Amino acid sequence: MMFLSLKHLLTRKKQSVLILLGIIIGTSAYVAISGMMLGFQTKLMDQLVNNDAHIRISAREELLTSESLDSFPEAEHVFWSLPPSGRKDSAKIQYPLGWFEKLNKDHDVIAFVPQVNINVIFNRASVTVAGRMIGADPLKQERVSNIQQYMISGAFKDIGTSGSRIILGKALMQSLGARQSETILITSGKGPSMPFKIVGVFDTGSKNIDENTVFTSLGDAQKLRGSPSEITDIAVKIEQPDLAEIKSAEWKTSSHEKIMSWQESSASILSVFKTQDIVRNSMTISIIIVAGFGIYNILSILVTQKKRDIAILRSMGFTPNDIVSLFFNQGLILGILGGVIGLGLGFIICFLMGQIEIVPGRMGSSTGRMIISYDLIIYVKAIIIALLSSLFSSIFPARAAGSLDPMDIIRSGGQ
Amino acid sequence: MIRAQGLIKTFEGQQEAVLKGVDLSLNDGDFISLMGRSGSGKSTLLYLLSTLDRNFEGSVLYDGVSIKEMGVQEIHRLRNEQIGFVFQFHYLLSELSAIENILLPARKANLLDKKLSFARDLLEQVGLSDKADRLPHHLSGGEQQRIAIARALIMQPKYLFADEPTGNLDSKNGEIIFDLFSQFNKEYKTTIIYVTHDQQFGMKAHRRILINDGIIDKIS
Ligand SMILES: Nc1ncnc2c1ncn2[C@@H]1O[C@H](COP(=O)(O)OP(=O)(O)OP(=O)(O)O)[C@@H](O)[C@H]1O
Ligand SMILES: [Mg+2]
Repeated sequence: MMFLSLKHLLTRKKQSVLILLGIIIGTSAYVAISGMMLGFQTKLMDQLVNNDAHIRISAREELLTSESLDSFPEAEHVFWSLPPSGRKDSAKIQYPLGWFEKLNKDHDVIAFVPQVNINVIFNRASVTVAGRMIGADPLKQERVSNIQQYMISGAFKDIGTSGSRIILGKALMQSLGARQSETILITSGKGPSMPFKIVGVFDTGSKNIDENTVFTSLGDAQKLRGSPSEITDIAVKIEQPDLAEIKSAEWKTSSHEKIMSWQESSASILSVFKTQDIVRNSMTISIIIVAGFGIYNILSILVTQKKRDIAILRSMGFTPNDIVSLFFNQGLILGILGGVIGLGLGFIICFLMGQIEIVPGRMGSSTGRMIISYDLIIYVKAIIIALLSSLFSSIFPARAAGSLDPMDIIRSGGQ
Repeated sequence: MIRAQGLIKTFEGQQEAVLKGVDLSLNDGDFISLMGRSGSGKSTLLYLLSTLDRNFEGSVLYDGVSIKEMGVQEIHRLRNEQIGFVFQFHYLLSELSAIENILLPARKANLLDKKLSFARDLLEQVGLSDKADRLPHHLSGGEQQRIAIARALIMQPKYLFADEPTGNLDSKNGEIIFDLFSQFNKEYKTTIIYVTHDQQFGMKAHRRILINDGIIDKIS
């Protein structure tokens, strides 16, 4: 029946082209928009997942209460006229060794790094900037996050294990007006300022890291904080980042510390992704529905117009199934053709969008171009949507045609 | 051969039967005309005999096999291989050229290549060799009907049914059609049964059946 189906399509070129256009636009829009959004999401997701820990275990910040000091033997004789208040001074992980042992034994854990995270103030000449210092063993830190790949000068491991050396974000460097190898002063707000030498610069593209974070060795950070041997955080990398949420929930049940998976800490961005996905899918679905209705309408009209043909074909020995395929094939051809052309067009649009220059380091790659996803799954989904919609919208008119009784048609003179 | 026994056809929701017990045998090579007043049941009988309508009382046997017992595939194969139809309105497919229309049944039987030269022979016989590639609306009514006849004969069927094949044509074109019928009946031994209102054309048949109000009045 392919021959006749094609004849039908070619005889009504304008209609066929119109429907084809609908499917092509729907499919290519899906590919282009998905490519752009997923490219952006993948890039951002990669940052979310890998710039920091998959799971971060940090000291719970506790507020002082009258019970806070009950562990002292004298406490029962104390009568507070003004009970203690405010934040407990030294937030620290209570049993770091216990955690290390637990993490070492856990098969899902690839690596972890004990850290000291402190709020600090940077000083260079007359410029003062508030920020955050992360103290960590460089080798362990590199195994947990992909910070090394964002270094634009120096190497991450240059912070060493002591010697007051730091690496810092490019934006922070700029706001301080500092240069490589220069020494700046850093204070935690309590102790005296200490000098740190800049040995490297990173640019992750994520504003909130680049503008205020420095890395130094664990020992130097502890010194600045005035609390040797204490740690405030443990950053953990696990085998399957997707399962971080489950893992963190599991750990939470048996721990007093604050435990956050990367999904929890980036919940707001993830919900933006969800919204993007909804917009992307509903837009495509509406385009496809319109094209689908087009196919449905045109085929339904065609079936009514072609009743005589149906009757004559049946009298020649074409079976009801042949009649179904006569019309069904037309939807199939439009779906396949429109889908394939749409994939090609979508790919071209993606390629062209990938050429667009944008501010480097933001949502683009380091080359300053927009990141486009060419994930196979996009193309597979697009063609499936195109096929399903055209098949779905042609099956009903086709089956109606197949169930027509040739006798009725002939008796009524083919009308 | 086709044997019809006790054919009674009553349309749904109607009291009186349109066919009221028809018995009839069509022998191989017969050339039969079916005549009668308008509304007497000629078309109805033809549809029953030709398997298009299988909703009736009585039986129609093709070489002893009842058409009511045949499955979907079987009945359509029978139509494709053994039966040709010519209707009053020459139902050509408007998208297809004359020769493509003629070859449609062969296409169904996957015999497109084998039947190509025969299709050209038929075109020659109906006098339209030079119009093989014309679309139907570039052909006259008489020409279209001749193409429809060629199409009905492409599979060299045993039986050809025609319901007022010249009803829409002038007498000259009608003449041509009936000459073709008798020619095919002689040449291919095709059993032909046709309905006509025209006395003169009716007389061309070897057997004439007169139907009156749902029963066979006279066979001569
Ligand atoms: N679908 C139908 N429903 C009800 N009655 C019908 C139907 N088709 C035909 N009839 C009736 O059956 C009778 C016979 O119809 P048929 O078409 O067989 O007559 P005919 O002999 O072919 O007439 P004509 O010479 O006008 O073509 C008529 O009275 C007609 O009204
Ligand atoms: Mg009639």
